[in-house]
Amino acid sequence: MQHALVLDRVSKRFGDHTAVDDLSLEIPTGSIYGFIGPNGAGKTTTIRMIMSIFFPDQGTIRVLDSDDPESVKDRLGYLPEEKGLYKSMKVHELVSYFGQLKGLAKGQADDRARELLVRYGLGDWLNKKCQTLSKGMGQKVQLLGTLLHDPELVILDEPFSGLDPVNMELMRDTILDMKRDGRTVIFSTHVMTQAEEICDYVMMIHRSRKVLDGTMEQVRAQRGQGIRVAYEGDGRAAFDGLKTQGLVTRVNDAGKQAELTPGEGTDPQQILASLVASGLRIRHFDLREASLHEIFVRTVKESGQPIAEEELSATDVARKIGGGAR
Amino acid sequence: MIDRKTWLVARREFVENVRTKTFWIGIFILPVIYGIAIGANVLMSRAKEVRSYAVLDRSEGQWLSKAIEARGDQGDVMSAVDTIEAFKGIEKEVETRTHSEMLAALRSSRSAALEAAANDTQRGFFERYFEIAEAALQKRVDAGEGDQKVAMMAFAQEVGLQMVPVYQEMTPQERSLLKGGLDRSKYRFVPLSEIGTAVDDPEAEKKLNDWITDGKLFAWFEIPAQPVESDENARYISNNLTDGELRSWYSGNATDVVRRRRIEEVALTELEAKWISDPFSFDKSMVTKTGETEDVGADKTAAQFAPVAFVYLLWIAVFTAAQMLLTNTVEEKSNRLIEVLLSSVSPMQLMSGKVLGIAATGLTLVGSWVVTAIVGTWFIPEGSKLAEFQLGQIIADPLYFGSFIAYFLAGYLIYGAVLVALGSVCNSLKEAQNLMQPVFILLIVPLIAMIPVVQEPNGMVARILTYIPLFTPFLMMNRAGGPPPAWEYIATTILIVVTLWFAFRMAAKVFRVGILMTGKPPKIGEILRWLRAPVGAVPDTGRSEPSS
Repeated sequence: MQHALVLDRVSKRFGDHTAVDDLSLEIPTGSIYGFIGPNGAGKTTTIRMIMSIFFPDQGTIRVLDSDDPESVKDRLGYLPEEKGLYKSMKVHELVSYFGQLKGLAKGQADDRARELLVRYGLGDWLNKKCQTLSKGMGQKVQLLGTLLHDPELVILDEPFSGLDPVNMELMRDTILDMKRDGRTVIFSTHVMTQAEEICDYVMMIHRSRKVLDGTMEQVRAQRGQGIRVAYEGDGRAAFDGLKTQGLVTRVNDAGKQAELTPGEGTDPQQILASLVASGLRIRHFDLREASLHEIFVRTVKESGQPIAEEELSATDVARKIGGGAR
Repeated sequence: MIDRKTWLVARREFVENVRTKTFWIGIFILPVIYGIAIGANVLMSRAKEVRSYAVLDRSEGQWLSKAIEARGDQGDVMSAVDTIEAFKGIEKEVETRTHSEMLAALRSSRSAALEAAANDTQRGFFERYFEIAEAALQKRVDAGEGDQKVAMMAFAQEVGLQMVPVYQEMTPQERSLLKGGLDRSKYRFVPLSEIGTAVDDPEAEKKLNDWITDGKLFAWFEIPAQPVESDENARYISNNLTDGELRSWYSGNATDVVRRRRIEEVALTELEAKWISDPFSFDKSMVTKTGETEDVGADKTAAQFAPVAFVYLLWIAVFTAAQMLLTNTVEEKSNRLIEVLLSSVSPMQLMSGKVLGIAATGLTLVGSWVVTAIVGTWFIPEGSKLAEFQLGQIIADPLYFGSFIAYFLAGYLIYGAVLVALGSVCNSLKEAQNLMQPVFILLIVPLIAMIPVVQEPNGMVARILTYIPLFTPFLMMNRAGGPPPAWEYIATTILIVVTLWFAFRMAAKVFRVGILMTGKPPKIGEILRWLRAPVGAVPDTGRSEPSS
């Protein structure tokens, strides 16, 4: 099985609104695949179609070499963005229940649930009710419920949203573990830096359409360079100057740092010189491949579909990371 | 038919619900109610307030009040004797029997009568009665009157009078064991001397009134000097005029005694007098299933009203179970569990699993009620009012408990289909309750109709309501006292099955769409629009598009 998942010209509409438009994808077995795009782009709808919670209006979906998505449900693991627990159930019972729903026998599910919970540091909570868990522990339990039945393909919808740094790291390690075990992992995110860190492949979706896909390397190579500047003080005047001189085409100013997209054929030396001349105190100046964030913004602009700035603003990212999950 | 995943969902629902407080409250509420009812009954019969009365009798030598007291005791004796079934049979053909025949009949029925006695006190009483009656008959046979016909009135009175001392020796509690509580266990005669007065005391009225004010006396009677002539100036004085039992008991006895005096004065024979004064009354009877008529006793009357209790319990059970289904559906949505579940099971499996699991919970509850009710009847004390209703027989009647369980299931499924569908579109219990209001208003109808329907189980209103599917289970239970003809049972069963088939098809459609919806719940009109969409399609929900 070369591809864990193949989507062929899949579309999904809700009334007048097209949620996913003509999407084709091939996801190699054993890879970590990132679905990236802003909120409302169609990531969750795509995932729900893969999980056969929704059915596409057009196109075909082949999951784990099967055309009947219902029949492979038990081989998939799914952690939705919005997830919860039965508050009054005991922790090990809940995890075991999720495993049984995926086809494990009761005894096997019970044993595995205990084993996994202990391994992930929840041994003391086996017989506690779910409502006594902290938020982080709750999320761990949910993830374990997804993995109990040893799924071949794991789909995580916004797995990092609402996690604190410690749990974020744990989630990242778990995803990497899954890859090492030979599983295919798909996860969606609208925070580009996370995708950048761990993905083998990425697919960008914007306004229901795929705008870019490929390996991380391919995507980066296609999309040229970016300059990262760390500075002190107010950089707005200096950056505006760069723009008017035509040295850069885009500035993503985060206050203390900025990513500059050099204009066609511009020598980065010129940019540095101009910045120094403007009197801005530069602490760091670095020329490298453009970040996923920049690539995304550029791609969107080139695709001719405008994107509202706030959809990708730094504050949005901060809100998401800082526990603002719904 | 039930696949593994449906069964898993059902089992979880059952196990989780059985662990809830609501469930255990439900299980224990009936035994508690039962206990209170039996306890109250025992207490009431034990501590039945004895009503004291005095009589200011102005008749010559107080002959009337003395006669009334004797008559009261004798009346009690006679009604206690009346409970001897075997004796009633002998009495019926009384005018045609001779003394020897009667004696033989008495002897042969003696052991049956004693066996039929409800308790030892009754048995002892019956034994004395048979002894006295046999002795009286034997005396006549010995006197050579063996082939003369029995003058029943005189004979009964003679035996009755001999029984009075036996009766007078009994304690009020023993008396109450003779038959549901005889009058003497309820009323106590207080002689005027005890009050410190006499008939000729000019202060008598004042002293009697003081005793009433002090609560030492429930009432007093005044009998005029010439009671045989008329009841003018006969008075009943009490502060409690709503409870007329004592008054009617006393005046009944007075009527009897005075009537006998009057008969003597105009020189009628006793038979003539009896014939003249016999009231013309109609016996209560009902038609049995085989088309015969049958006498109506307390048990039958209870049987006719039993459906009210069953409907009420049915209503509580259906309401509880349907509410459970709603709460759990909304819980899964508001806890964001639904998507995880739907990645493992189909919406149909989830819905049917929930419905089945809670059906099992509800059946456990209802089953426990039936068992409690049957076991509870064993603890009803003999000789109490409750025992007269023969509750054990009613509850154990398959028509009742069978209907109860079957109609619980039907009612739960009908309302469950509606609530699971409505619950699936709501994100919080509060939203659900708002949407549910019309359903709850509908649920009140069978409660309001309960009494009218039980009074006329096969009447027009009952029949019309029966064929409104939302009410069918309640109405059929309600009419069980009738009971409705067999064809109605068949027709309503078909109606219920067809209704359920449609209800669940529609519920499934709404559930599929609603269960993933977020945001404001849709209007009823919108939900109805979904119902018209073909199965499997996800209709335009307008605003339910998934986020991100």
